[in-house]
Amino acid sequence: MKLARFALLLAGLLAGGPFLAPAAGAQALDRAGLIGNLCGNAGAMGEAASVLTGLAMSGDDADRAFAAPLARAVIDRKLACDDAGAVLTESGLDAVTRTPRAAAGEARTPVLSLKNRAVYELADAALALRAAPTVTQRAAALKTLERRPALIPEGLLDIAAEAETDAGLKVEIETLAQTAALNAADPAARIRALARIADNPSRRALTQISALTADPAYVANPDFRAAVDSATARVERGIALGDVLATLYNGLSFASILFMAAIGLAIIFGLMGVINLAQGELIMIGAYVTWLVQQGLRIVAPSLLDWYLVLAIPVAFLVTAAIGIALEASLLRHLYKRPLMSLLATWAVSLFLMNLVRVVFGTQNLQFETPFYVTGGVPVIGDFIFTWNRMFAIVFAVVTLALTWGLVRRTPFGLNIRAVTQNREMAACIGIPTRRVDMMAFGLGSGLAGLAGLALSPIYSVNPQMGQNFIIDAFMVVVLGGVGTIAGTVVAALGIGQINVLIEPLWGAVAAKVIVLLMIIAFLQWRPEGLFAVKGRRK
Amino acid sequence: MSRIGPTSPIALLIGLIVLVAAVMAGLSGTELALSRYLANAIGQLAAFAVLAISLDLIWGYLGILSLGHGLFFALGGYFIAMYLLKHSFETTGTVPDFLQFMGWKDFPFYWAGFEFFPYALIAAVVATTLIAGVFGYVSFRSRVGGVYFAIITQALVYVAMLLMFRNDTGFGGNNGMTGFTVLLGWPMGTSGMITALAVASLLVLALVLAGCRWLVGSRFGALMLATRDDETRLRTMGYETVRLKLIVWCLSAVIAMLAGMLYVPQVGIINPRVLSPELSLEIAVWVAIGGRGHLVGAVVGALLVNAVKFWLSFAAPDIWPFILSGLIVLVVLVFPNGLMDLAKFKLVRPMGAKRIAADIGEARP
Repeated sequence: MKLARFALLLAGLLAGGPFLAPAAGAQALDRAGLIGNLCGNAGAMGEAASVLTGLAMSGDDADRAFAAPLARAVIDRKLACDDAGAVLTESGLDAVTRTPRAAAGEARTPVLSLKNRAVYELADAALALRAAPTVTQRAAALKTLERRPALIPEGLLDIAAEAETDAGLKVEIETLAQTAALNAADPAARIRALARIADNPSRRALTQISALTADPAYVANPDFRAAVDSATARVERGIALGDVLATLYNGLSFASILFMAAIGLAIIFGLMGVINLAQGELIMIGAYVTWLVQQGLRIVAPSLLDWYLVLAIPVAFLVTAAIGIALEASLLRHLYKRPLMSLLATWAVSLFLMNLVRVVFGTQNLQFETPFYVTGGVPVIGDFIFTWNRMFAIVFAVVTLALTWGLVRRTPFGLNIRAVTQNREMAACIGIPTRRVDMMAFGLGSGLAGLAGLALSPIYSVNPQMGQNFIIDAFMVVVLGGVGTIAGTVVAALGIGQINVLIEPLWGAVAAKVIVLLMIIAFLQWRPEGLFAVKGRRK
Repeated sequence: MSRIGPTSPIALLIGLIVLVAAVMAGLSGTELALSRYLANAIGQLAAFAVLAISLDLIWGYLGILSLGHGLFFALGGYFIAMYLLKHSFETTGTVPDFLQFMGWKDFPFYWAGFEFFPYALIAAVVATTLIAGVFGYVSFRSRVGGVYFAIITQALVYVAMLLMFRNDTGFGGNNGMTGFTVLLGWPMGTSGMITALAVASLLVLALVLAGCRWLVGSRFGALMLATRDDETRLRTMGYETVRLKLIVWCLSAVIAMLAGMLYVPQVGIINPRVLSPELSLEIAVWVAIGGRGHLVGAVVGALLVNAVKFWLSFAAPDIWPFILSGLIVLVVLVFPNGLMDLAKFKLVRPMGAKRIAADIGEARP
């Protein structure tokens, strides 16, 4: 009877220990009986080991703490069986009651058979994984378990992963759990494991599953083969979907940055026919102002440090708007009749600002804190992670879009801007102070560039040259979108952003830029004034 | 419209250039020869002056600002570099660095024939005309002009730079092409060769100046000015302005290409940095400082700005950008026609000063 139960237990254990092991721990633990078995013959010892392993999975914490040292003691031969039960020789405690006592009568140390040694090591590692106090010890236990994934009872690792507090170790445990389940002896368990893995498609899951096609069972067992094939297909679908979503998401975030960089440019261009080549440097200054706000908070109010991105919004806007207004009043005011000269003048400003920042701050990338709201992300499907820093840029661009739209469409100032954009002379005739509108609009456009700098500081590296990377793309957005229309800027930014990101994985970033430029040139054949040209006489 | 007289500034300038060239050639090899550095600097400046003329031709006389002329300059540079490498390989057996770097055994097929200078020259002219022609045609046909044209040319040169920075594109990538040893059968790097290149650059400059002077003084030149000042009216009168603009645009591109061909053997290297938008913008700055719509102005502007730059890159490299931006602002605000505004103060009286002294109207955007 005893032997038969043992055989059944062992078989269950080897098969991935389906149902008997948890059952053993569910009842109240017979501590004395367990110790008795530990001191018994090879069969009894094997039974005791499976009880110990079962405790690792489903026993309560007190039982687990009781069981924790036992397997190790047997392996290290630190358990002395005597007439009154057994003593843990290392601590001198009674194995059952855990009170100090002397050996009673002649003590005997149980000897492990070769077969049982493996089982005891498993039990020890399983208990250590659940009950050991330090991460290092638990990690070492996991290493032991890794050597024999087929012996690990099903469910143990899942429970351990759930209880694990260390994030790194948790991931390792989960990985091993998948490997163990996939390599279990019971085909049904393997198929269940396959289905579980396919629920979370990732490239790692695909490697794991596709390795199984080399498994003998793949040829021998049709059910298993079907499960592997369907899991592969599901994972591949998930990965493909994730890739598509990730591409769209990256395109959207790139488009947001482009939009932020271009919207100010488009307003200024539409209003005054001036392309501000210093727009890139205004973006850069927006990012530097953000950094300065962060450094200021570090000194003045460290508790608010996490909110520097939000607190910097008005500062970045006002500083760059002030620079823009100063620029307009001192320089561009005199160049309205000569737009090509204003290109050179704004380039001179861009050169000056870039080198000024280089001299003052140096050429190295600035270090930004990453507040919690732009850290990490939510894994969605496949390799697509919904990252918060990109989401920040997207939300920021949407809010900016809404505000700019409201300003241009719903306020008297916006009405003036639109009037001057459409017909400067007529606007002047009905008493709109066109020069003042120019100045304020230039300030608005520059301030929007500053906000663009703020929005991209959590994503891109911030250095004196950063403006150059965006400015030509931003020009293309303006050219494609048409002069001075918000809708055109939005559509063009989305289009260029998405096309760039779509082409990039196929032929590389440079090819993407070449193709986008050629498409824009071709597009201008069809609509030379851009997507959303203001209707009027063609010049 | 005045004719070239012996006292006109342009004739004086051409005469001066030829004189310098003759003196340099005459003194070459004697005790009085210019130092290698100075001769080389003169040669490079002459190449830049040719480049400035090419831009002045379309900006000053046609009102089209290109912020991508570095593209054609670089085309010339890359073609002459291909010739130099292939020729050096054929005569001395030097395997170019970039072939080894790319892990290629032999030159790719499109290098065939580049060991012959005439072939390289013709190929460069054809390629430049083709690229400028196609781009110019699609732009002028859809009446893209003014600021639009300027920023699209800037994007063009930027994209070309990204393309050439890739090592896979096959022209030396990031490192560019260097290690030229032989030019037309003569070893490079000797004093004689440096002087010869400088003299050649000066002579080409004189020729280009004379040719452009002839062109802008001709009936065709009058049409160019008319296109600049009021294209719509000219079109209404039945002139084919697209063709006119296209011809001048291609001519300007070829002149810029020639400047690149002169420049690269003198510096001994070509790399994609020549294609950076900054350089192309700087060309426009030379012309603006010298004075748009004056060939002499373009030459003087290029010489002046680059001479200061050469000097400052040794004396104080950090302050050069500040000086340059200050110069631009000064020119833009105070001297809209560049140094030619000094004509008002009777220091120089350029030819046709009366016509141009009034603020040159730019083509509308």
